[in-house]
Amino acid sequence: MTPPLSPGAPAIEVKDLVVTNGDVTAVRGVSFSIPAGGRMGLVGESGSGKSMTALALMGLLPMGWHTHGEVLHDGADLAKLSDKALSSRRGRTLSMVFQDPLSSLNPVRRVGDQISWVIRHHTGADRKTAEAQTLELLRSMNLPRPENLVRAYPHEISGGQRQRIMIAMALACYPQLIIADEPTTALDVTVQKQVLRLLNSAVAERNSALLMITHDLPIIAAMCDTVAVMYAGRIVEMGPVQEVFRHPRHHYTRGLLDSQPTMDNIALDGSSRLVSIPGMVPPLHDLPSGCAFNLRCPAATDKCRTDMPELGGETSLKSACWHPIARADEVAAQ
Amino acid sequence: MTIAATATIAPKRRRRLDLNASLVVGLVLTLGFLAVAVVSFVWLPSNPNIPVIKNRMLPPFLPDHWLGTDGLGRDIIAQLMVGARTSILVGAGGASIALFLGTITGLVAAAYGKLADETISRGADIMLSIPGMVTALVLAATMGSGALTTILALSAFFTPSFTRVIRAAAMSVLQEDFITSARLYGRGKLFILARHVIPNIGGVMIVQFTLYFAAGILTEAGLSYLGVGVTRPSISWGMMLNEAQQTVGISSPLAIWPGLAIVFVVLGLNLLGDGLRDVLDPKLKQRRA
Amino acid sequence: MNVTPFPGEVRPLLEVRQLNQEYFLRRQKLFEPRPILKVLQNIDFAVRRGEAVGVVGESGSGKTTLTRMLTGVEKPHDGQVLYDGTDVWSGTDAERKTFRRSVQVVLQNPRSSLDPRMRVGTSLLEPLRSLKIEGDHAARVHEVLDQVGLSKSALQRFPHEFSGGQLQRIAIARALMPGPKVLIADEPVSALDVSIQAQVLNLLKDLVRDLGLGLVFIAHDLSVVAYTTSKVYVMSSGKIVEVGRPLDLFRAPKADATQNLVAAILSVENGLSGEAFA
Repeated sequence: MTPPLSPGAPAIEVKDLVVTNGDVTAVRGVSFSIPAGGRMGLVGESGSGKSMTALALMGLLPMGWHTHGEVLHDGADLAKLSDKALSSRRGRTLSMVFQDPLSSLNPVRRVGDQISWVIRHHTGADRKTAEAQTLELLRSMNLPRPENLVRAYPHEISGGQRQRIMIAMALACYPQLIIADEPTTALDVTVQKQVLRLLNSAVAERNSALLMITHDLPIIAAMCDTVAVMYAGRIVEMGPVQEVFRHPRHHYTRGLLDSQPTMDNIALDGSSRLVSIPGMVPPLHDLPSGCAFNLRCPAATDKCRTDMPELGGETSLKSACWHPIARADEVAAQ
Repeated sequence: MTIAATATIAPKRRRRLDLNASLVVGLVLTLGFLAVAVVSFVWLPSNPNIPVIKNRMLPPFLPDHWLGTDGLGRDIIAQLMVGARTSILVGAGGASIALFLGTITGLVAAAYGKLADETISRGADIMLSIPGMVTALVLAATMGSGALTTILALSAFFTPSFTRVIRAAAMSVLQEDFITSARLYGRGKLFILARHVIPNIGGVMIVQFTLYFAAGILTEAGLSYLGVGVTRPSISWGMMLNEAQQTVGISSPLAIWPGLAIVFVVLGLNLLGDGLRDVLDPKLKQRRA
Repeated sequence: MNVTPFPGEVRPLLEVRQLNQEYFLRRQKLFEPRPILKVLQNIDFAVRRGEAVGVVGESGSGKTTLTRMLTGVEKPHDGQVLYDGTDVWSGTDAERKTFRRSVQVVLQNPRSSLDPRMRVGTSLLEPLRSLKIEGDHAARVHEVLDQVGLSKSALQRFPHEFSGGQLQRIAIARALMPGPKVLIADEPVSALDVSIQAQVLNLLKDLVRDLGLGLVFIAHDLSVVAYTTSKVYVMSSGKIVEVGRPLDLFRAPKADATQNLVAAILSVENGLSGEAFA
């Protein structure tokens, strides 16, 4: 439905993105690129700037917030486009799935109408064709009895079904990139996996690229090829998911990984202890000087308190740290 | 969203008064209006009630009568000032009674079970379906016209809408977990309503009060214009409008002054209400990070 | 956490026996009797001093209703709720008073747990005042602040000045004020960021160990419950379908509901190895 990407062109390329409202800067210079059909995860907690990044890419920032930097997608710089030009891309080449489907779907319109509207608006199809495509879409999302489902209102169906409908709407026009912002956080844990599995296969079928934003590391491990870890508005570590999660160099990433309770690290006598990162995420209007993580980092030195580290590294894994964690084989070699 | 979350992680307590245009303008107009009414008790340019025929229909911008005089030679400014008293008395009086009764009924409807809720809500619906003017006219016919009657009429038709607003706001607060906690600690309903619910709906109450105050002034003007409001020696802007009718062909400014006074005061109160709403609500909304 | 009870204290602190709860639903047809929804069926559950017990299940499994029964907010249709051996609903006033002080709750949403118009210090004093507990209130507040790791400067501030994790600590502090013997935590970390979850879970574990609290931890995430408790009840559709030690349930789940919960677990390891969606 959308013209194919020119070969080799990334689905999206972000360069030095800054998002600010004049007083507070939520995103402080973020750069990344997602190849066509690629999967990138953006990890961060509240206050990391990850949601603002997603909104900035979509052009959906709240009033008073503006961007600097470049967002290259579908042959244009989204940061410089008018709302009208952006609007023609939203839902068509670039779409988003939000966290809470109940507040993201229009409560007074039937779900079938909401999906067919997206199809008609972007492809100009007539009502009957759009309705047929909607039914097909719902079937591909493993939703039971689509003929009845299209006539339902959002509050009449379960959370998992609502989220699948949101995903259906986002994928209806075969976008080049779909952004998912905490898509399963509001769902029950057994439903989470079903929805993620569905998202995984639906994105693969359409060869769309995926930007998965979440604070839940296992989801990224399961679904993404590359990952970027955000802290206080900047990316502190980025690289292939296997590398970053198995051999993280940044202490924040290490801390996040150690905070997850898994069945493997639970001792029978209850003596296991999660290593938690002390302190809290600093407020964006009151960041410490130097590396924003220095107040909570076990390896912080004076240099960390004065100089801000940049992303760097010789391998495919880049991290922004003055004292990155050494790899086991490096230590052995010394 | 993220920003709301970070804005609430503030280790230092910062009090930032969010002044917005609505609030400032509204405050200026409202305080000005109140000041005029207060001043009228200690000073008036001249007697607003005694006719001075030789001065009748003087045009504005004269040294003794800056806005001129009316058909019987009485100073316009003096009348406006005394009229301000009536507007406050009736407007604030009606709004206050409505606030008091509306809060009680609204809280009872929200907190004392389905039967109470249904009874009060249907009662409010019925009262709201009776046009306010009709109530006012009927009251005036039975009790005689005057400030008191007007206040009663205003209370009658503001209370049910106040009830609705308070009920909705209270119900939303009662859903919160800290209410459950209070009940678990053994606090009774009355304590919870007084100590937990009212402080949290205070913003709503203040804003609604200013808006009904404004509506009260408008309504009072209308009633006095119709002749069922206050009568001399009390003065009302609506009454001034009525009297101005007789001189419309000869000298139109007479109708403009009370009209402008009404416009500015009602505008000021509405702006104040809007401005207050913006200042008071975000602090409550911020917590939904 | 001890799996074996303290010597001499075999009797559970808080217990429910054959608990049943049902609600009437709206009548569908005019002359039929109103349909009944059985929310809890024949629940047997117990927690002892110094023991951390988990309750897991999907939403709709009855966990929340169980919480309300355990705290005495709602009266069961059938069955008993016993604190320290005495029935909560038929005990004397003194016994009810003891129950009220001894069983406290921490709820899921930290931003809704505290009155936004009250300073934290006042909120903390509320349980002492309301339950009319004697003693030096100010000293008690300081003592509890130390136990949960909060500074005294928190007392003067309002809830909106704190982060979710800190508010949850404050909520735990408030629950500890009356010196309870049992703490019920209903999804205490679901609304928190990952790194803060670990802090709060560690805090709960410490409190169980240091204060000898009985902890009832209710959640829908089996890994979180497994980390914090030594015995887990699995609920589904109002019934308890399986009970056991967390690792046993994980390795050899018997009931369908347990198997679903285990299957739903996503970990970094199985994600990286590509087995997540297998």
